[in-house]
Amino acid sequence: MTTADTSHDAVREQLPAYAIGALDGGERAAVESHLRGCVTCAAELATMRPVASALAQIVPQHDPPAALRARVLAAAAARESAAPRRSPAASSAPWLAAAALLVVSIGLAGYASSLRQRVGRLEQQLAAALLRVEDGERRVNVALRAADDSRNTLSIVAAPDVRRIDLSGQRAAPAAAARAFWSPSRGVVLVAANLPALPPGRTYQLWFVTADAKVNVGLLKPDPTGRVDAIVTNAANLPTPAAVAVTQEPEGGVPQPTGDMYLVGSAH
Amino acid sequence: MWVLAALAAVGDAAAAEADRGALARMIRGEEAALAEIYDRHARLLYSLALRIVRRPSDAEDVIQEVFSQVWRQAGRYELSRGTVAGWLIVLTRSRALDRLRRERGEPTAADLEGASSSVVDPGLTVDLQLVDAEQAARVRAALLALPDAQRVPLELAYYEGLSQSAIAARLETPLGTIKTRMRQALLRLRDALAEQKR
Repeated sequence: MTTADTSHDAVREQLPAYAIGALDGGERAAVESHLRGCVTCAAELATMRPVASALAQIVPQHDPPAALRARVLAAAAARESAAPRRSPAASSAPWLAAAALLVVSIGLAGYASSLRQRVGRLEQQLAAALLRVEDGERRVNVALRAADDSRNTLSIVAAPDVRRIDLSGQRAAPAAAARAFWSPSRGVVLVAANLPALPPGRTYQLWFVTADAKVNVGLLKPDPTGRVDAIVTNAANLPTPAAVAVTQEPEGGVPQPTGDMYLVGSAH
Repeated sequence: MWVLAALAAVGDAAAAEADRGALARMIRGEEAALAEIYDRHARLLYSLALRIVRRPSDAEDVIQEVFSQVWRQAGRYELSRGTVAGWLIVLTRSRALDRLRRERGEPTAADLEGASSSVVDPGLTVDLQLVDAEQAARVRAALLALPDAQRVPLELAYYEGLSQSAIAARLETPLGTIKTRMRQALLRLRDALAEQKR
């Protein structure tokens, strides 16, 4: 293991190698400990992660032998033992027994009754299928939004007209820090760390501050660790900011800032 | 072209969501869910393993190990972090590299980390998502266009698991030079990935 240099510049140099998993244990630990407190490096790392999956995906493609699938599945089946499982036969058995009994005991009437049950069962299956379709559509939408977000982040951070604004924590949150990337043509990305947890009924709000106005950019909700990854893609109406600020406001946001300033950074 | 790329993106996103569903069913013990994940990713993972270990029989063993681990540990994978495909890629690469290192007589990641051997590097699974076909094509082209001095260290690092100091020793090049070249190579690939679609 090499000696770990933990200075910001040294870690930043190592980020690409870290992103593809090419650091040894000591170097990796140094990068990870620096990453926890440095939004700059965390933001840069985010732009490099897709390279790792690309390297895995661009190797020459070969079909695995057909027998491998059988081996993999057989191994799983052999391992699975006492896990409680529902058997499909068990759930339909009572219905089958009931239907058979009806047919045998009351002839035609029973047959009609079993037909009704079949119709009822088909209706149930149809309803279940429709639910699954709706569920599937909902999941696709969620996934599409997530995919859009990462694509947009990359596109903003790599935009030719992107500008970077560093925000530092104010008296209400001295440990907080953030970095904003603003591309007039593509939008705004904000990465923040160490924001205090919000009291109920409150939200953080992001502002572009100019000489004569404070313009609402959007609301921010930190995760439990105080981290925010926010993206705003409709930035066409935003003015060129002199500064960027984050305040704490009532839930739903306000047209003009009223609460304490948590983060601020000059855009010049 | 744009429409094709958009369609591919929809496919990727839907597949990622289907993977999560399959993993959840796997936790409940449904073997069909394992088969579903296998059918969706085995080709990609087998190809990656084969690129690293070179021998088909070894690549098959790697895939078997990976899926057996997935089946046993599906419940330990945090669904909120990264994609299932990203997790599978990290597992496959580290299993394949372990095999390579064992062959070279070097300690494996498992030996070094003792009991936590099966725990993959969490920093690398987070948010690892498949790139779409068009992005992959751009990265492949960018990789091939790199000068050998940049491409070779990168390939030794990713596909052979060599540390930067091991690469420096093998190529008889100063460590600082290797670090710089690897960084330049990766930034070039990242830029290729980020190019705007027309």
